[in-house]
Amino acid sequence: MLTGTWQPVRINSLLPDSHFASSVYLRPSLFQIASPLHSTSVPPSSRSPRLNWSEQIDTGSSVVNLLSISKDSTMANTIRLYLTCIRNTLEAAMCLQNFPCQEVERHNKPEVELNTSPELIMNPDLICRNEAEKCLIETPINSIRISMKVKQADELENILAKKFLRFLSMRAEAFQVLRRKPVQGYDISFLITNYHCEEMHKHKLIDFIVQFMEDIDKEISELKLSVNTRGRLVATEFLKQFI
Amino acid sequence: MILLQSPSRFLLQILHDRLLSQDKGVDIDCQTVEFDDVRYHIQVSMRNPKVLVLSVALPLPPEEAASFDGLPFGAIEAIKAAYGPVVQILDPPKDGFDLTLKINLAKLPSDEEQKNAILLQIASIREVVLGAPLKILLKNLSMKTVGPEAGQPVALVHRPNESFFVVPQADKATVVYPMRFLDSIDIVLATSFLQEFVEARRTAALNNAPACMWSQSPPPELKGAPESALTANAGFVTFVVNPRHVEGKKLDRTVWNLLTFHAYVSYHVKCSEGFMHTRMRRRVDTLIQALDRAKSDAEKLKKMVTGPSFKK
Repeated sequence: MLTGTWQPVRINSLLPDSHFASSVYLRPSLFQIASPLHSTSVPPSSRSPRLNWSEQIDTGSSVVNLLSISKDSTMANTIRLYLTCIRNTLEAAMCLQNFPCQEVERHNKPEVELNTSPELIMNPDLICRNEAEKCLIETPINSIRISMKVKQADELENILAKKFLRFLSMRAEAFQVLRRKPVQGYDISFLITNYHCEEMHKHKLIDFIVQFMEDIDKEISELKLSVNTRGRLVATEFLKQFI
Repeated sequence: MILLQSPSRFLLQILHDRLLSQDKGVDIDCQTVEFDDVRYHIQVSMRNPKVLVLSVALPLPPEEAASFDGLPFGAIEAIKAAYGPVVQILDPPKDGFDLTLKINLAKLPSDEEQKNAILLQIASIREVVLGAPLKILLKNLSMKTVGPEAGQPVALVHRPNESFFVVPQADKATVVYPMRFLDSIDIVLATSFLQEFVEARRTAALNNAPACMWSQSPPPELKGAPESALTANAGFVTFVVNPRHVEGKKLDRTVWNLLTFHAYVSYHVKCSEGFMHTRMRRRVDTLIQALDRAKSDAEKLKKMVTGPSFKK
């Protein structure tokens, strides 16, 4: 399974409840194969016709993982799968080491922000839950940049998400691993350097990031619920006055 | 406090205090501002301790809402009817204000309950003055008569430079509010609130409440209205008021609720935003705690030791 080249490897597997399956494409140059599913390979003929298959889409230098889920599965399953996939990718990708800047003497910068030397920056990984939600992970040698796009179904969720994420970005200083401005095309970005990995336990850092993603989703849906509940209460009180 | 209260607490407080301390020699000269640009100025001088001078400034009316000498239609008659001999209107009003009243505390009825009722009524001066035209229209509705403007939208002031429309008819009155908000977040929140009004009306318990509709474009009732009044960034709300809603004691409450509808929605939108900020702050604290757990103990120890600097 492990080769020294940059060949994409395809792992097909079926979940125990066999509601859906996904293909995860990984680069074997990562020393840990991040697979969220039990790797039992299944012959193509036994696949259910309802399911959509992820395909390898080569968008330039990035490899796209698509988890398309059939209509029967519940939302809870998909978010678990999405987060587990992200967690495993991060566990594989978070092997950072100190790397002094090649361009300028005595400088030490996160290479992902510079984008100058292609040999230092590995292929970025894009994990999509659906068209609206995706996560881009870029991993050069001494830093990781994780950019997220949050689901925004309607106008209200749109402004709630924008408000909340702006609130968080302004407090990036307190979070240390948060980037003040999100990457173009995404809603929020993290920047983790080798220094952060030295200071903090790696698995706890990954826990934090996954929990952060979960919390954002939860918070936005709770805010929306509170607005709707308050609206209902306000309307009822007002109309009761006329009875 | 979910609903906006009709008597102004500021005025009520001052009136009660004045009654309690009638013999003490204290001059009062206070000004205050209430929502939607209504200003009060109350004065008591020790030369006439039994007399209070109350000046009220009203929101600027737009062109379509006509005003008679700076006051809404029917305001003067309403004041005379509500207060009787206790209150006297001073003409011309004080500089910068639209209405000045002289309140004679000596003429208050001696019965405690009636006295409090009149004071409450004086504190609700806003409802009496601003709500006068609406009250006339709704009273016509309750008596099932129609004034000269049947079927035409009548513009009434409720906010500075903005008006809402009432279309009186024999068996019902249609009230249409063009809702405008300055902030884009306010607009989205208000739109979701207003749609909740329509939803809430559909529940069985509120069958007797006025029918409620919301639409993004001006409803057909506003056909006769001027163009400037027809732009609203949060849509148009329509209430259909039946005679059942305005009979007897319910008239005053209905007038107040309809008069301050926009202020009510705006107030709750702001409360909602405040609540969201509190929640977000709490969530940020939780996340930072989670991040702290990620730090290794050695780091934490180092931070604690080299923490606050000390001066010699």
